[in-house]
Amino acid sequence: MSSSGIVFSIIAICAILGGLMMITLKKVMHMTVAMILTYFSIAALYVLLTAEFVAVAQVLVYSGGITILMVFGIMLTYHKAENRDEEKVSSFRKLITFLSVATLGIVSYFLVAPVDFVAEEIFVGDHTKAIGEILYTNYIIPFELVSILLLVALIGAVLLAKKDKEEANE
Amino acid sequence: MMNEIMTSQPSWLNVLKFTGLGVALILVVILFVTYAILAERKVMAFMQMRPGPNRIGGKLGILQTLADVLKLLLKENITPKSADKLLFLVAPVIAFAPAFMVMAVIPFSENVTFANLNVGVLYYVGISGLSIIGIVAAGWASNNKYSLLGGMRAAAQMISYEIPLVLSLLGVILLTGSMNLNDIIKAQDNVWYIFTQPIAFVIFFIAAIAELNRGPFDLVEAESELVGGFSTEYTGFRWAIFMLAEYFYLFAMSSLITVLFLGGWQPVMFLGFIPGSVWFALKFLFVVFLFLWIRFTFPRIRADQLMELGWKVLLPLALANVFITAIIKEIFFR
Amino acid sequence: MDALNTYFNSYTIVGVFLVIGILLPLVAWGIGALVQPHEPNEEKEKTYESGLDPFHEATVKFHVRYYHIAILFVIFDVETIFLYPWAVAYDKLGLFALIEMLIFVTLLLIGLLYAWKKKVLKWM
Repeated sequence: MSSSGIVFSIIAICAILGGLMMITLKKVMHMTVAMILTYFSIAALYVLLTAEFVAVAQVLVYSGGITILMVFGIMLTYHKAENRDEEKVSSFRKLITFLSVATLGIVSYFLVAPVDFVAEEIFVGDHTKAIGEILYTNYIIPFELVSILLLVALIGAVLLAKKDKEEANE
Repeated sequence: MMNEIMTSQPSWLNVLKFTGLGVALILVVILFVTYAILAERKVMAFMQMRPGPNRIGGKLGILQTLADVLKLLLKENITPKSADKLLFLVAPVIAFAPAFMVMAVIPFSENVTFANLNVGVLYYVGISGLSIIGIVAAGWASNNKYSLLGGMRAAAQMISYEIPLVLSLLGVILLTGSMNLNDIIKAQDNVWYIFTQPIAFVIFFIAAIAELNRGPFDLVEAESELVGGFSTEYTGFRWAIFMLAEYFYLFAMSSLITVLFLGGWQPVMFLGFIPGSVWFALKFLFVVFLFLWIRFTFPRIRADQLMELGWKVLLPLALANVFITAIIKEIFFR
Repeated sequence: MDALNTYFNSYTIVGVFLVIGILLPLVAWGIGALVQPHEPNEEKEKTYESGLDPFHEATVKFHVRYYHIAILFVIFDVETIFLYPWAVAYDKLGLFALIEMLIFVTLLLIGLLYAWKKKVLKWM
């Protein structure tokens, strides 16, 4: 295996490990930390693809912003430090779940395997500049729509949380 | 030498070389931290007209910090019974690792540069944001009211000031047209950005103090309200790692301010015969002193004032600065 | 080719620094474990609470304003992500992009003003 293959494998394993820990761990705070591992590994994958701006955006928004939002969300609700009770799951159900996940894995493998990825020329230089030049000339309208989306998200969050508080006061 | 390594084919030998350089850097930074702590205490003592540490290592207390470290090393590690054992240990590592990672991007002189990233500025901000998670996790894992409150306050403060911090940098980026810190230094050949971007500098400096949790924004460690803040339950070397992370950030932030606003290793006027690293060190020490001076001069501000200053004053001001810069550039420099 | 090598070498440094940053605390604790005493007892392992025995759960429910601040943070974080490519490419973009960006930021400032009026930014 080439050294870039080795690096890719390590990062990919970290990403999957984070995801697995996220669903298997019992405490919400542990899950959040596991999720950072996944987000961070994905950023590392972007770096490997020489998409450094996307990688930095990933770290800034997901590893930094979204996780903090989740932590604050956790703190907003009552949560016990103790483990929640194990729900009893029948082995039949487990088997069905495993089979469906395995089927999904096999199907997606056979869908992806025949696709011929053409090795594109690697873009060397300032990616941020290139993104800026394209985004603010060709994709102006989607960009402006993003600002409306963000505005709606902001107002919605304020309204929802206000409502909760009023209900709590009553 | 660094240039040759950087342009060579990436190999495992390079990894080895980088490890050596990284260890060298970390030793230098630890040396800095040792004497920054002493300097902080000495300067504080001087400003409050008392002698300060003067027992160990002569009148200047040269060995004081070493003695403190030795004391910490010999202290017992206590893990509270009700604490979340795993996260209690992982949290200091999450808080510390980014503090060292951010230094990879800072050019210390013409020749002493590490990573040469085109997204340098955003890299610094993004990675340093990860430390917040470590601090909240420490507060939560301690299972102590003071710790959790301290951790949450720290997080709220740091995210509130991250926005003005990042926005104020945009002025500098607009003038340079690059996020690469080496390019930013080269663009300050004639005039430093502190003169062309004074508003950005002031906003950045205030936000930097808040990000560093230093006085007058040290609400996180307001011992009269929160005991020890998020690190209340930490003892010995575990606590020392949080302390180390704090001073690593002081080092990194002072270096970043030197690079962004004071021209990095660029010499002053005609004094070009003095090497760049000396200039960097002088400007860097000046910035560190500024941080200390401000800490000892201003009283701690209230929590509500802190939040409102960030969102209602610094954020709009930073945005205004960006657009004023853009408009001036559009009119006069096109 | 030089640029590509520099790119990968730079991120190798970042990776190396990450590993060193993780190892340093572990090494320090390893050294500490050799020389530190370890005599736990019940009193020592109690959570600190100003000398009292700890009571109630420490995991209290926090005020909703923390959540508001986090939402605002994420939204303005995304905004900055959009502002940076604009600032870097500004030389080539010019007046049209400036006006576009003004509209973008104004819309978000309306959101901030709304939050301000709704007393979301008020701490206390």
